[in-house]
Order: sequence, then C-alpha cells, then structure tokens
Amino acid sequence: MKNRTVVLLALLLGLIMFAGTGCGKRAVEAPADPAVEELTEEERARLEEERLKEEMRRQALEERRLQEERMERERDAVDAEARIQEAMEEITANRIHFAFDSYELTADARSTLQKISEHMKRFDELRLVIEGHTDERGTAEYNLALGERRARAAYEFLVLLGVSSDRLQIISYGEERPLVDESNESAWAKNRRADFKVLD
Amino acid sequence: MIKLRFFIFLSAIFLVVSLLPPWAGAQDSLHIDIFGPGEERINVFIAPPKDLQSEVLFDPELGSRIYDGLQSNLGLLPFLTRVDPGHILGGPGVEGVRGRDIDFRKFNLSRVDLLLTIGLEQHARGPGSVEIRAFEVFDQRMILGRAYDLQDMDQVPLMLRRFCAELMDYLTGSGDFFRSRLAFERKQNGNKDIWSVTPQGTDLTRLTDLRGITLSPAWSPDGSRIAFTLMRDDRHHLGIWDLEKGEEQVFSMPGNTVISPAFSPEGRLALSLDPMGRPDIYWLDGDYGVDETIMEHWAIDVSPSFDASGTKMAFASGRLGNPHIFVHDFDKGRVQRVSYEGRYNTNPSISPEGDFVAFTRQTPDGHRIFVADLETGREKQISFGPGNDEDPAFAPDGYFVAFSSNRSGDYRLYLTTRNGDEPRQIPTGEGNAKAPAWGLERDF
Repeated sequence: MKNRTVVLLALLLGLIMFAGTGCGKRAVEAPADPAVEELTEEERARLEEERLKEEMRRQALEERRLQEERMERERDAVDAEARIQEAMEEITANRIHFAFDSYELTADARSTLQKISEHMKRFDELRLVIEGHTDERGTAEYNLALGERRARAAYEFLVLLGVSSDRLQIISYGEERPLVDESNESAWAKNRRADFKVLD
Repeated sequence: MIKLRFFIFLSAIFLVVSLLPPWAGAQDSLHIDIFGPGEERINVFIAPPKDLQSEVLFDPELGSRIYDGLQSNLGLLPFLTRVDPGHILGGPGVEGVRGRDIDFRKFNLSRVDLLLTIGLEQHARGPGSVEIRAFEVFDQRMILGRAYDLQDMDQVPLMLRRFCAELMDYLTGSGDFFRSRLAFERKQNGNKDIWSVTPQGTDLTRLTDLRGITLSPAWSPDGSRIAFTLMRDDRHHLGIWDLEKGEEQVFSMPGNTVISPAFSPEGRLALSLDPMGRPDIYWLDGDYGVDETIMEHWAIDVSPSFDASGTKMAFASGRLGNPHIFVHDFDKGRVQRVSYEGRYNTNPSISPEGDFVAFTRQTPDGHRIFVADLETGREKQISFGPGNDEDPAFAPDGYFVAFSSNRSGDYRLYLTTRNGDEPRQIPTGEGNAKAPAWGLERDF
C-alpha cells in the first residue's frame, strides 16, 4: 500500500514536471508564427475532445456501478409483458438536449441515458434507434455530421453503461426533422436533441 | 431528354455569311471581362420581331414569346443594361433584320451598343423558322446570326438558351451559364426529392420520387448521373439518379452517415462517411464501394468540392473546434486553412479554376455568402440577406454563383455572381428549394 502511494506520488510529480515543460515550451514558441498558432488551436480542440471523452467514460463507469447495485436490489419478479410495454414507452418519451454546435452530454442527458440503459438491460429483446437532430441555424451538411456526433455520443454512453452495441443503431436527421417548426431560441433548444425509437 | 434533331439550320450559306465577319478581328469592342471589377456594362436593345415575308406577323404569339424570352435571358446577365424602347430616337423598329436594312445611326445616338433582331418565317403547320441576329452598333457589324426551325412552341426556351450561350461565348468567353442545368432539393408534403431546372428558370422537372428525404444533389461531370443522400427506413443511403434510364439506384454504405457526395472532374465520387465512428471523406470506386480515404481526422470532415483540374478539394471541418473551410491540395499533399473569421463557416464551393472558394458564414444577422481568394487570402461578402443565405455553388463558368435563401420567408434558389451582383430568384414553385448543384446539359 505504502509502496503504491509512493509510486503514485512519483507519477504525479512527473506529470506536473511534464506539464511544466510543456507550458514553458509553448510560452517560447507562442509569438506571432501563424502556423504554430494554428497547430495550437487544433491541438487545443483535440485535447478538449479527449478530455470530454475521458470525462464521459469516467462518469459512465461510475453510473454503471451504481446502476448495477440498484438493479441487484430491484431484481424482483414482476409481470414482464406489462413492464416491457412500460419500458418502451418510457424510453421513447425521453430525449436529450445539447448546446449549439455541441455534442457534449449534459448531466441531465447522462441521467436520462442511464434510465434508458436500465430498461435496455432489463429487457434484452429491446433494440433502439438513436436519432441525432440539430436546430436549423447551422447548415444542412455540417448539421448532418453534427447530428451523427450527437447520436453517437448517446450511443457510446449507452455502450459504456453496458448496453450491447448490436442492440443500438444510430441515424442523423440533421436539421431535417425539427420537433418544433419555429425560429426562436426556445424552439432551437428543443430541436437540438437525440430521440430514441424502439425497433420492432 | 430534349430532342435535338428538330433544330435544323435553315441554310448553310446564311450561317457562313453570318459567322465569317465577327470572328475575324473582333478584338476591339463588346468584350466584357466578367472577372474584372464588374463596372463594365453594355447597353442592349432587342428590336421588335419582324416577319421575313410580310409586313405583319402571321402569329404574334411566337414573336412575343421569343422577344420576352430573350429579354428575360439577357436580363440575367448583370453586365447588360436594357435600353428602354421609348428612348430610341425615331422609334424602336427596324426596316428588316439584316444589317443592310438597319438604320444603325439612330441606335448609336440612343447609346445602344448591342442590337438584336428577330426574324420569323411562319407557316401553318408549325411555328416556323426563326432567325436571330446580334449586331455591334458602333461598327455596324453582325457578331452572331443563327437560324432555327421550330416544330413546337415548347422548343422556344431551348432555342433561346442556345443562342444566348453563343452570344455569351462571344461577349465573355464562356456561355456555359446557358448550357447548364441545376439540380436541387425541393420539399413537398414532408418529403424531399431532387428536382431540376435551368438557371433561367425554365423546364422545372421532378427527378426522384423516393418517399424519403433526399439531400445534397451532385452532378457527374458528363451530366449523366446525380448522386445524393437518401434518408429512409432509419438509415442513410447513397442514391444515384441515372438521367438516361430515368431511374435511381440506392446503395448502402458502411457506417451510419452518407453526407455531401461530390464528383471529381474525372468522375470519381467522394463523400463523407463514418465507418470509423466519425465523418471522414472517402473516394468511392466505380461500383460505389469504399475505395480509399481522402481526409481522415477525429473531427467532422464534410462537403468536398473539387476544382476543374481535380488537384484541389475544398471541404468543411470541425478540427479547430468550430467548422471552418479548408482546401486540400492533392499534388502538394497539404491542407490550407481558408476561413479565419467567424465561428461557423460551412458549405464550401471551389471555383472551377481553383482560385476562389465560396462558402457560408454565420453572422449575427444570419448566414451570408463569402468568396475567399485563395491566392491573396482576401474575402468578399457577396450576399446580404435578409434571413439566411446558404449553399453557394459556383457555375461552370466560375462567374455565376447559385445559392439558397429564406429572405422571402421560405427557401428559394437565387443567382448572383462572384462579384456579388443583385440576386435574382430562380422560379422553382412551392415548397422549400435548397442545395443548388450545377451540371452541364448533355447533348446541348
């Protein structure tokens, strides 16, 4: 135990030093070379992307542990048919929302996905289509890609929560199927979403 | 699609006579640099149609359709200014349609640079023969003369496009604007299908009827096929419309998305797919299977657009955290960033010459069309709303730019030029019209 702490401390120290040198280097290279600036911008975007992914994975694993504990407690015999219907309805009644030009899962979105994953685990026969949607403010082709990113973020979170990937399918509708066909902030917020459809 | 054999030249002699003078030594006047600052203008006047055999027109309907059609076609060219018939000193009429019968002095005094005459020889069976001539007024010289034999009134628009294509060839060096056809998405009853229309607004035709959502049409360089995205049955598909067969084929692709197909000038199809879990740009092979990756990145890469030499591909990418425009140079193996301003730049369309990229930028007032000069890095805004202006597409002449806009409420197609000339709406009927794509008319 003690040994491990020492190793961890050493690693931490190493990391800090590494980060330190990294910063120092950047400070030297920073001035006015556009190529370097661009690289840094791209690097920043990539690091942000990786951070989001890591954060998502950590949260999913935590949620998954809690969820499995709870399901252990709940495993009581109830009429399956009635409950599967109920589960399907609950799944499709859920939707998750996103910020503009973002596919980051919010805390609300993660808890919604967790509820969906519980239903999915309880009923092995369920298969889902995750639909990614955007608001109308972007442009069609980029929005199709963004819708894919949104549906995929939900898909990856569900997989991390333990739902088998072969039970999930994703499609992006981009801006083609708004929930609210209006042009205002509240409509746009509602339209930036992922919907869940149970496959027959 | 359009039967061409109906067009027969009236007489070889007429053509030879009409063609020889203009091409020999016509360097001086009435040539327009459409890529210049855009201030040059030519004053044009179309004389009232004349019957070649009698004093009065046998059927005034044909004459006025040709006259109106010519006015409308030439009205689309921003460098032409129409001279009002009331401003012609001594009246707008001509004695005859040939040079020797025209009093050029009165047109010259009225500042007309380019004079068009229409001669009709009508007969009872069909509309008859039509002769259209264009004269340089100052030199009193015919620059273009063509004769057409019409079997049907419906052939008038095609006849006028052919004449205007040659006239624009003469004036600017490229008449492809009149040889082109646009494909676009049109929304009706919740579905979207691919339609086509000429840039002049004639011959509106429905191509697909797929009961789904079809997006992003793109023409093959030979004008024989249109590729598009089809969303149907919870999946994306690649659709290929074959103009000769008049039917479509639908292909499944690996991954979940099929976005923004575009043909290279050699006829290779590129599009954005996500088999690796992120939208990347791939080449397809001749059987529409995945061939190789063009652009692979953890971020979104969509909307490839190729120049006419096939050495440059513009695309939109989210690699800097927000969507920006980039150009990939195949020869140099290098990616050049094009857009620096704004936080949302998409919809790139590279000019055929590979020197400009038109794209959509989100501004506080909505999306606007910008053109970036790849050589100097300078940008010019060419559309000004209101609403959203999207989907810019360079015409094959590198001069006209088609785009979609909801400035009138619903999305409609518009024409402007890379100089940002006054936009003109292209009539496409009811229902949102978006994503215009240029193709060259086959067997024009």
